[in-house]
Amino acid sequence: MLKPATSEKLLCTVLIAIALAVFLVPIFIVAVSSVKPTPIMFQKPPSFVFEPTADHYINLFTARPFAKFIWNSLLVACGSTAFSLTFGTLAAYAISRIRHRRIKDLAFWILSMRMFPPIAVIVPYYILFKTAGILDTPLALIIVYSTVNIPLTTWLMKGFFDEVPAALEEAAAVDGHGLLATFFWITLPLVAPGLAVSAVFCFIFSWNEFIFALMLTGSEAQTATVAVMSFWSSDAVQWGRIMAGSFIIVIPGVVFVLTCQRWLVRGLTMGSVR
Amino acid sequence: MSAIILRNLVKRYEADMAVHDINLNVEAGEFVVLLGPSGCGKTTTLRMVAGLEDVSEGEIYIGGELANDLAPKDRGIAMVFQNYALYPHMTVRQNMEFALRPLRLDRAEVNRRITETAEILGLDEYLARRPSQLSGGQRQRVAMGRAMVRTPEVFLFDEPLSNLDAKLRTKVRWEIGYLHRRLGMTTLYVTHDQTEAMTLADKIVIMRQGRIEQVGTPEEVFVRPRNTFVATFIGTPAMNLVPAVSADANLHAKDFSLPMPQKFRNHVPEGLEVLIGIRPSNINLADSGPANVFAASVRGIEYLGTDALLDLRVGSEELVAEIPAILRPEVDAQIHVSFDMQSLQLFDAKTGQSLESI
Repeated sequence: MLKPATSEKLLCTVLIAIALAVFLVPIFIVAVSSVKPTPIMFQKPPSFVFEPTADHYINLFTARPFAKFIWNSLLVACGSTAFSLTFGTLAAYAISRIRHRRIKDLAFWILSMRMFPPIAVIVPYYILFKTAGILDTPLALIIVYSTVNIPLTTWLMKGFFDEVPAALEEAAAVDGHGLLATFFWITLPLVAPGLAVSAVFCFIFSWNEFIFALMLTGSEAQTATVAVMSFWSSDAVQWGRIMAGSFIIVIPGVVFVLTCQRWLVRGLTMGSVR
Repeated sequence: MSAIILRNLVKRYEADMAVHDINLNVEAGEFVVLLGPSGCGKTTTLRMVAGLEDVSEGEIYIGGELANDLAPKDRGIAMVFQNYALYPHMTVRQNMEFALRPLRLDRAEVNRRITETAEILGLDEYLARRPSQLSGGQRQRVAMGRAMVRTPEVFLFDEPLSNLDAKLRTKVRWEIGYLHRRLGMTTLYVTHDQTEAMTLADKIVIMRQGRIEQVGTPEEVFVRPRNTFVATFIGTPAMNLVPAVSADANLHAKDFSLPMPQKFRNHVPEGLEVLIGIRPSNINLADSGPANVFAASVRGIEYLGTDALLDLRVGSEELVAEIPAILRPEVDAQIHVSFDMQSLQLFDAKTGQSLESI
């Protein structure tokens, strides 16, 4: 391979540095501010040498039940992810394997779920959930997030299922296995990278979602994202707590993605055929 | 009793006829090869036997039992796929174990079978490896091993050697032949490679456009092809076909005449337009002079080591001859050739059917 010129290398490095700065500087500010004493928080120029304080974190968990809100967020995100992966994967398998002239229409119909602005259905959802008595429960948010996540999972997984060679499933059939055994032992392990990708997308969407959570939950099922906003009231903006809360919110997403990362490797199907 | 019987088997895709009224008996322990050019329906036929394709019409019996509506898993078959279809996320041992799982054998029996199969195929060292860590030839053997551990009644092979390089192909071909002689399993084997068919088969089924053209032993299809398709499909280089007319117990081609061979004399009518079939290996160099020796010019030579192919013109007829390389003439040389009259074939020019009385 040709060695890239030094100037090209330099350009790449600079571009990567800029991209990283765009993404990391806000997180850095959040992290630093969350341990900065309130008096010097908006000092100009900003000081980076100070005695860190844990006050904001302590206040966060003592003034309000922030642990509970995080638990709610986890419950909703994990619940919706599990729900969406289960049904999205099964739907995707069916769409990928069933030979029928209308199956494409069905697939498009599922995708079309994502085509209208979510804000348009907030009020209907509110009324529905109120009638059903599940307003302000994690279940309500799990349902709402799944309507977004299932189409995403279905389309992502369809692509992965399409790539599993038909001969592998045929081989399992000839080897004496039924449909379910073939699916669970052969097909599913081969689309594990797809499951990981879908899980990451579902989890992050559900974890970060704000509008639905704001409108459909009260004090009981409030999620962490909404709770952080509640430190911004008409009386005062408690920047320290907002920064501390925001920094905590970042952590589970990162941990989840890092956990899934080892599954995000492609090439598992290599060596099966040819 | 036949291990596999195909009766009036038809496969239709929409309006297309992929397999057209196939009738075939495969005896227990027999090695039958379905041979034909691509798109002739041989793989479709095999897949119908495996239960991977629906049967449009007709019946399939496996072990005396009507199998049309049986799931693949209930047919007592094992199949080796063209691309091997090894489970990539499992080791060689797990691939075999997975194939054995539906049989619900106890642990000791599973291990015994895997050890035995691995030994036969020389896979002992590779049991812990995944398919991606194996060479093409090793993968091929694993695919066979996975089929063999189940000790099925019937083995199906779908072009198992086509992904191997030429050298390995010969080696694995020997192995398959050896395994069949040793284990005696009923085998249905699909290929487009006539060498595989000729070397492995007890019985060759030659197919074209969804129909069976001829069923016979390798020798039968080579020596007595039933029509011009089989005649030119079997044998490399292909049989020469020379148009001629029968008259006065002779065959008159455009630029030369031959006496009608004895075996055709009584039933080939006068004035019939025929095709004379001459295998390249049945054209010999000759001295000029005696009867039935013809002058020929050498248009080209392909040297093959032991043999050489000559591109000849006898009058205006183009003929390919195969002679010992050591005897080969120069290009553009004028030579004389004779035909081995015993092995001449005659075909009806209109129908392409052999005129040999059977």
